[in-house]
Amino acid sequence: MTWSQGASPAAGGRNGSHWIFNPYLLLAFRLLLAAIFIYAAVQKIGRPHAFADEIHGYGVVDYGPPLYIMAVVLPWIELLCGFSLVAGVAIRGAALILIGLNAMFLVVIAKKTIGYVSDGTPFMKIYFDCGCGFGATYAWKKLLEDAAYLIMSLALFAAPRHRFVVSIRRRSS
Amino acid sequence: MLRNAILQGIAIAAVSAVVGFAFNSFSRNGINPFRVPVKVPAATDSTQAGAEGIRVIDLEEARRVVESGVSVIDARRRDEYDEGHIPGAILFDYYDMGTYRDRVLPLLSNEGEIMVYCSEITCEDSELLANELYLLGFTKLLVFKGGFAEWSGAGLPVERGDL
Repeated sequence: MTWSQGASPAAGGRNGSHWIFNPYLLLAFRLLLAAIFIYAAVQKIGRPHAFADEIHGYGVVDYGPPLYIMAVVLPWIELLCGFSLVAGVAIRGAALILIGLNAMFLVVIAKKTIGYVSDGTPFMKIYFDCGCGFGATYAWKKLLEDAAYLIMSLALFAAPRHRFVVSIRRRSS
Repeated sequence: MLRNAILQGIAIAAVSAVVGFAFNSFSRNGINPFRVPVKVPAATDSTQAGAEGIRVIDLEEARRVVESGVSVIDARRRDEYDEGHIPGAILFDYYDMGTYRDRVLPLLSNEGEIMVYCSEITCEDSELLANELYLLGFTKLLVFKGGFAEWSGAGLPVERGDL
């Protein structure tokens, strides 16, 4: 089995028969992730000052061009990934980006959460605005959500095939 | 499959960057993404009145500053401002730069001092806005860290509604 044959090692067998690759479940993952990321993007587009401050609040990137470029471009990446998943165009590319984004979100939210825990705040009571576009929430809830989004993105990326997609075929004659 | 996915991902990122920069350049709230932050001189010594840079002041000095007629900027949201603000304060919502920049900057003098405050001691918007004002050429800035919570909590006069 090779990658070029369209099946990944995670496909659960030659036919990709693992339950997570059920075409309807994959479609549900696509629509759910699309709704979440399009909504989150719309909350951030047009307010780069606020988004830059929210990113800065994680203490990972200081004020400067890298932070401002992230504040300007990241919401549009989320929006385009969402549209790709809905339209069924470049699904694996969008899934690959979402894997990277969700992994990054998990790391920075975990880092911030550890900071609160070391300051003496009980884990289950840590409540803050992650800057994700959905307002303030409990850290444990956000970590679980992001882990779920990461698993969905991985499933979309590793699925041997997708249905309900836009397919462009050349005429043979 | 991986190669195709990477190429698709690069294409999505490239289109996002083009659209994002184009939108940002036309947006009223756009920022200059390539701006290198200026190191703003900070002075914490209260004897340095009138000094250039950003100086953090306490409630007592804030009260004297307001009484002396210095320009006062409220960096909070409109609804918070309408509920109550320091007398004479001008609203400048830090997160709606496009709207307030054109409206408020003509009212300020870059010769005199300007005091900025936000909600309470933990909010950062007063310092962020002071930083922006410094970059725009207003160099004598005072940040009242206690903010509106400390001002109103001390029983000092409060104005309601729009100025």
